[in-house]
Amino acid sequence: MKWARLKSPWVLHFNSGACNACDIEVVALLTPRYDVERFGILLEPSPRHADILLTTGVVTRQCADRLKRIYEQMPEPKFVIAIGACACSGGVFEGNYNVIGGVDKVIPVDVYIPGCPPKPEAIIDGVVKLLKSIEGGEQSGKR
Amino acid sequence: MASADKILKALSDSLGKRIIQTRTLQPGKSYIQVQTGAHKDAVRIVLQEDNEAGVSAITGVDLGETIELMYHIRTCDTIITIGAEVPKKDAKIESITDIFPGANFHEREVSDLFGVTFEGHPNPKRLILPEDWPENVFPLRKEVSVANIPSKIGNFGVSKDEKHVSSEERLVNIVLGPQHPALIEPEKFSLRVDGEIVRGVEPRIGYVHRGIEKAAESRTYLQDIYLVERICGICNACHAACFCQTVEAIMGVSVPPRARYLRTIILELNRIHSHMLLLGHAGLEIGYETLFHYMWRDRELIMDIMEALTGNRVIASFITIGGVRRDLKEEDVPKIKAELTKLKERLSFYKNLFESDSTLKMRTRNVGVLSKQDALKLGVVGPVARGSGVNMDVRRDEPYAAYNEIPFNVITYDEGDSWARLMVRLDEVGESVNIIQYALDHLPTGPYRVRVPRTVPTGEAIGRVEAPRGELFYYVKSNGTAYPERVKVRTPTFANILSFVHIAEGGNVADVPASFVSLDPCFSCTDR
Repeated sequence: MKWARLKSPWVLHFNSGACNACDIEVVALLTPRYDVERFGILLEPSPRHADILLTTGVVTRQCADRLKRIYEQMPEPKFVIAIGACACSGGVFEGNYNVIGGVDKVIPVDVYIPGCPPKPEAIIDGVVKLLKSIEGGEQSGKR
Repeated sequence: MASADKILKALSDSLGKRIIQTRTLQPGKSYIQVQTGAHKDAVRIVLQEDNEAGVSAITGVDLGETIELMYHIRTCDTIITIGAEVPKKDAKIESITDIFPGANFHEREVSDLFGVTFEGHPNPKRLILPEDWPENVFPLRKEVSVANIPSKIGNFGVSKDEKHVSSEERLVNIVLGPQHPALIEPEKFSLRVDGEIVRGVEPRIGYVHRGIEKAAESRTYLQDIYLVERICGICNACHAACFCQTVEAIMGVSVPPRARYLRTIILELNRIHSHMLLLGHAGLEIGYETLFHYMWRDRELIMDIMEALTGNRVIASFITIGGVRRDLKEEDVPKIKAELTKLKERLSFYKNLFESDSTLKMRTRNVGVLSKQDALKLGVVGPVARGSGVNMDVRRDEPYAAYNEIPFNVITYDEGDSWARLMVRLDEVGESVNIIQYALDHLPTGPYRVRVPRTVPTGEAIGRVEAPRGELFYYVKSNGTAYPERVKVRTPTFANILSFVHIAEGGNVADVPASFVSLDPCFSCTDR
C-alpha cells in the first residue's frame, strides 16, 4: 500500500480563495515542461479518490465549510500541502473581513510551500519532501 | 454619431433643475450630480443618445451621513459619471435594471457592501458576501471596522450553502461547484435542466471574496499596488497598471516614455499568456487534451520572457506609481525577439487548426451564441463583446501607456458563438506579438521611472485598461493622506458573467463547460 502511494500519489486541487497565480502554476505542473505525470502524480477531480490535497489561497468565510467537507470526504491516510504564501499564513489578505486566514486554521497541513506564487519546481520539491517523509515513516496520514 | 458634448447638452436640456452640479473629474471625464430619483432618467438619456453606451460600473462611496452612488457610463470613448446621494438611514434608490439589464450584478454588489436597497430589482439576493454573514453589517461603510465583525474560527463543518430544491415538476437541479472538475476556481452554478436542455442558471459568486476594496483603504498607495496585483494572478500587470494610472491622474504625474513602452510590453505579455492559457483550457473542456498540452507548452516561452523582464514568472510586481521598477537589459532583447518569432510560427499552426479541425468546429460553432444586441444590453466587455461584433477596445478608444504610438488592429468577429470568442483571442495573440516587437524596436532611451511623493493630493479619478478579459475599471478617491479614501474595482468578468446565464439557457447540458470557458471567466477578479 505504502509502495503504491509513493509511486503514484493522486492529488486533488482546491482553491479556497486564491488569486489564480498559484492555481495556474499547479496546472503548469501537468503540462509538457514539468509533466509530473511521469512520476505517477495524477490530478484527480474527486476528493474520494485523492491521497493528497493541494490547497491554494487564503480560506474565505464562504469557502471554509466546503474546504472542511472536501477534506472529510478524502479517505485516510490523507495529506495536505498548502501552496503559496496565502495558504501558508494568509499572505497579503491576512486581516481582511471575509478572510479566515491560512489553510491550517481549518484543516491540518503537512507541508507548507511559500512563495507568491511558488515556482513549479518548488511545488514539485514540496511534494517530493512529503513523499520522503511518508517513506521514512514520519507521516502516517492517520487523523 | 453621438459625441460626449452632445450627450452632456442633452442631459442638461432635459434634466434642467434636477442637476445639482456638473464638474470634471479629470480631462475629458465629466461628473453630473443629479437629485435622487433623476438618476434613472439621466441614464436613460445617455443610452438613448448613444445606442452602444453601457453602464460600466456602479460605485458606492460612504460620505458620512449619505452614500453617494456613481453610475459610470461608457460612451463615446470616455466615461460619463452620473451621481446621486441616498441617506444612510434610509438607503433606497430605484433600480435601473429595467432600462439596462447589465446593471443587475452591479446593483446587487452595492446592495451587499453598502446596504442600499434597489427598488424594483428582479432578484435582490445576496451575491458577494457569504451566506452566514451577519445581517445589517455592510463592510464598505466607514463605521464598520474589521475588528468588530464576529470571526468564524471554530464553527466549521456545518455547511450553510443555499438549498437547491426545485418545486417545479420535470425540472432537475444540477449543482456545478463549488468544487468541480470543470472549474479551477470555487463558484457555484445551479442549472435547472429539463432532460438535456438547460432551462435556467443561477450563479452564486463570492466564494473567493477577500474584501480587497476595504483592505485597500487601510494600506498606503504603495502597498496597494501589491494588493491589487493579487486580485488576479493571471492579469496582475493590468491591475497594477490601472491602479497606478488612476493615482498618477490624481497626482498629475506624467510617466517617462521608456516606462510607457515597458508597461506596454508587460501588459501585452500578460495578454498573450492569459489568452494562451484560456485557449488551452478550452481544449481541455471540449475533450481535446492535445491542444491543451500544445498551448501550455508554447505558453512557457512567454513565461520565460516574463521571468527575464520582471524576475517573476507570474506576479510581475513590475509597474509602480511613476513608471516601472526594473529596466529591460539590452542583452535580453535578442533572446526575447527570438522567442517571439518562435511563437509566431506556432500561431499560424493554431490558426489553421482552429479553422479546419472538425472536433473544434463541432464543439464550438453555433454553441453559446450571443447576439450583438444582447451583448450591448448585457454590457459585456473584451473578447466576449468583440466576438459578437461589438467594436470596442480601450487600447484604441482611450489610449494609455504607449498604445497611441503603436499600430495594431482591433479584432472582431460577427458570429457571436464560442468559436468566434476563441478566434478573437487567437488573433489577438498575434497582434500582441506584433505590438511587443514594435515596442522593442522603438524603445525610447531615458529614465524608466520618476520619484513621486508618498501622499496623494485630494481628488478622484477614473482609470481604464484593456485587460485580457476586457475593460478593467478603477475609481480611486484620495483624501490628501497616504491612504486612499475609496478604491473601486470593476473587473471584466464581473461585467461578463451575466451573459453566461443568457447563453446557457436553452442550450445542451454537455455544452455548458464549452460555452462557459469561452467567456474566459476569472472569479478571483469577479469576487475581489
